[in-house]
Amino acid sequence: MNSQAEWEEIERLFHQAIDLPPNDRQELLASASAPIRAEVESLLRADEDAFFTAPPVHLAADLLDREPSALNPGQRIGTYEIDSLISVGGMGEVYLARDPSRTPVALKILRRHLIASPQAVDRFHTEARAASALHHPNIVKICDSGESPAGLFIAMEWVEGRTLRQLIDQGAADLSRATDWSAQAARALAVAHAAGILHRDIKPDNVILREDGVLKILDFGLARLEGPVRLEPDSIGASGTISGTLSGTLLYMSPEIFRGEIATSASDVFSLGALVYELWAGRHPFAGETPLDVYEAIECRVIAAPSTLRAGIPPEIDALILRMLDRDPTHRPSARECCEVFSRFSVRT
Amino acid sequence: MNSEGEVTSLLTAWGKGDPNALNELMPLVYNELHRMAQRAWRGIDQGNTLQPTALINEAYLKLAGAENATYQNRCHFFAVACTAMRQILVNHARSRHTGKRGSGQLAVSLDDVQVAVHQEAAEVVALHEALERLQAIDERKSKVVEMRYFGGLSIEETAEALGVSVITVNRDWRLARTWLLREMNGGPS
Repeated sequence: MNSQAEWEEIERLFHQAIDLPPNDRQELLASASAPIRAEVESLLRADEDAFFTAPPVHLAADLLDREPSALNPGQRIGTYEIDSLISVGGMGEVYLARDPSRTPVALKILRRHLIASPQAVDRFHTEARAASALHHPNIVKICDSGESPAGLFIAMEWVEGRTLRQLIDQGAADLSRATDWSAQAARALAVAHAAGILHRDIKPDNVILREDGVLKILDFGLARLEGPVRLEPDSIGASGTISGTLSGTLLYMSPEIFRGEIATSASDVFSLGALVYELWAGRHPFAGETPLDVYEAIECRVIAAPSTLRAGIPPEIDALILRMLDRDPTHRPSARECCEVFSRFSVRT
Repeated sequence: MNSEGEVTSLLTAWGKGDPNALNELMPLVYNELHRMAQRAWRGIDQGNTLQPTALINEAYLKLAGAENATYQNRCHFFAVACTAMRQILVNHARSRHTGKRGSGQLAVSLDDVQVAVHQEAAEVVALHEALERLQAIDERKSKVVEMRYFGGLSIEETAEALGVSVITVNRDWRLARTWLLREMNGGPS
């Protein structure tokens, strides 16, 4: 490291040189020793980059701003003890926590200020209670919900595995896996629909595959808490990308939801249709460069049969997936029918 | 002794050159600021984020008390508080950092926000580490960056707290930024 005297000379030369045009800098630095000259020149080059020009606290404050709860290990939420932070989402955070018997649970905290109204809080409790009635191996179980100083919370079954999003991004699943996963996902949806519960946000990020091959759908009934999903001008950036949660959701949204109509079980079937299409065909049916392209595709694109994109897809599956994606909700099959068709081809069941 | 008296006498002792006073002062200031930061940054109802400098001011009034506020004590307090604020932000950033590494196999619905936060957390940690290297060469410049960047102090406030001129802080800030930027981009080239 430089000695104190060298550092002072570096500092002096830097401040003299920084305001000079390049040619005069050369002249100024010519008298300095080679190491000092090299150091000053290196600093002058770095100065040309724009950095720290934003308000200096912005980055740091922003960091905490997005981690508002910042619950610490050992902290208690209801009867749960926080273990560690798992993820941060648009609505809050998810923590690994322990219930009183030390069983791990996923604790989802929803920031209170993001919940629009007292009615929304009531709705949260109603939805969470309804969803907690769902007991099925293919549905992530909701154990409990409540309020704490940190915000509203939901305690869920702890599942380790990878999301379908991660698995799809790694490349196309082979057909036997696609069959098995489709059958399990459709079964979860059929069970929920039979209990009168809609998912409202089926997408690969909400589907987890455990190491042992059991597929689980996450967040049943909770999507509505995030409020109506609409294409607001604000949510579309200059580059045509969509911010935050909408980006994941848009590609799996049914045309009727796009039009602002009420979600039905057929809307869930459409979303599942887009998901299984991606699994089977290896390509998303509505992929587009911009949100408007996607919107147009969902409204108008003629969807290629999965079998035209990949060999070996049985005609029944081909026809089923296209029916799931029918623009008319009344023409779509029920989740139960989807489950029956997929299960017929699945070796697991 | 109440906390106001305690903090004030510690500030005075530190001002007179007692190094142990700082060791006692730091945890008091850190804990208070951390508590306040958590509370302030949990609320954010109307989107107006309370800046670190506002928290430091509030902590000073709470810990030292307005009536005891001598100019010297205030300057010393700001220096300590900016260091504490740096620790708070870096600790948060680090916990986020390790969270990322540890959660590769765990999947609970995530979204894009997380990626941006990880990126920023990594930058805060990198800056903190580069700042430690700068401190070994030029302590005052590292202090200027700590106060400006982590404490959110203005050039004028920084000059006041350090007891140097505005021109000096401007010059320090410019060179320190440049030096840190180069360090974070891979050292001398």
